[in-house]
Amino acid sequence: MNNEQAKFILRAYRPGGRDAGDAIFGAALQQAQLDPALGAWFAREQALDAAVAAKVRAVAPPAGLREAILAGARMSTPRPAAAPRPRWRPAAWLAIAAAVVVLLTVVATRWYPAAPGPAPLDQMARFALADPLSAHTGPHADKLGTFGAWLQNPASRISAVSGVDLAQLQAEHCRAVTVAGHEVFEICFQRDGSWYHLYIARAGDFGGNAAAGVPEFLEQGGRSVATWTSRGLAYVLMTGGGPDALRRIL
Amino acid sequence: MGSDAFTQLVDANYASLYRFALSLARNQADACDLTQQTFYIWATKGQALRDVSKAKSWLFTTLYREFLRGRRRDVRSTALEDLPPDEADPPAPAVDLVAALDAEAVVGALQEVDEVFRAPLTLFYLEELSYQEIAAALDVPIGTVMSRLSRGKNQLRAILARRGQGSRDNVVPFSNQQVRKAP
Repeated sequence: MNNEQAKFILRAYRPGGRDAGDAIFGAALQQAQLDPALGAWFAREQALDAAVAAKVRAVAPPAGLREAILAGARMSTPRPAAAPRPRWRPAAWLAIAAAVVVLLTVVATRWYPAAPGPAPLDQMARFALADPLSAHTGPHADKLGTFGAWLQNPASRISAVSGVDLAQLQAEHCRAVTVAGHEVFEICFQRDGSWYHLYIARAGDFGGNAAAGVPEFLEQGGRSVATWTSRGLAYVLMTGGGPDALRRIL
Repeated sequence: MGSDAFTQLVDANYASLYRFALSLARNQADACDLTQQTFYIWATKGQALRDVSKAKSWLFTTLYREFLRGRRRDVRSTALEDLPPDEADPPAPAVDLVAALDAEAVVGALQEVDEVFRAPLTLFYLEELSYQEIAAALDVPIGTVMSRLSRGKNQLRAILARRGQGSRDNVVPFSNQQVRKAP
């Protein structure tokens, strides 16, 4: 695949990482990681797409449209024609009741699909290793309050992170992505000139293969990650600055 | 589907559907009609959809079909072969320039994009559907969606760059003493 072919594919990659799990983008994303020129083009492309998408989504529907839709649907619901009241037929009623129970069960099952099961923490780590965006288009830790400031503080040991409030994180993060069906929040920060990306999720969603509080390390394509769980949360810290840069701040 | 479930469906989708309709119809009244018509069809026919998880795709597909159906016959749609050849990698506007424009201006630019590219491009920017779901909604092959996204983005960026340049040209430099002294 040459760069023009990679660009053709990557132009269909939605900003925000929603397509990260789609195999068709895999080779093109990898190429963007390895080729600096393509990587820079892709970062610009994603930043521009994110800016346009934000503007498109900012268009508010006119006041009253929702109510008009709901009222219109109520009026369009077919009403049964008046018919003579049928005589009581227990067998028919029992059949109808049984059908309703089955129908409600099916609807409930389909409408509220089962939540995805827990995934290994390794999967979150591999996402971070392959993540082409690393949220450099969004806000960074310096705009994310006390937690952001703590991450940037040279004295902070990241593996000792505690007191992270998931509700607060949902409101303030650089980027939210979905990995294996689970929500993951990313915060980007700098230390000694190196960029770091901390991915945080519920430990119940990602766990199983990491001892609590003990970081495990992985490397791939010039990126290094450390993974650990602590106090109900799963963490992946990623940097392109090498494993030493990672160990220095853990 | 009960009224609560229907309300949930409306709440989850009506804003995105309206934005899609606005980009297609290019005016608010028609966009509202299209959005309402889509939910009306759901209320009368869509409940037969067996896989409720596909409701969102179904709604976007239905809205697009209603748009195509309702378009006046005397308006000739642009054929791909009528369009100028695509520029490989045209200059794109800066992110700051897009961020400085208001939402109305960006949607206005999107509405200027040729219709054949506009539908997939708007669905792409709404971020609700993947390229595969966009292909299904518009009933075109996946490769066609990718190609239209690529060409549509180029058109949109050229329009945005023009608009950005226009708004910059209207700005009076602060160093212009005559303007500063004017009453």
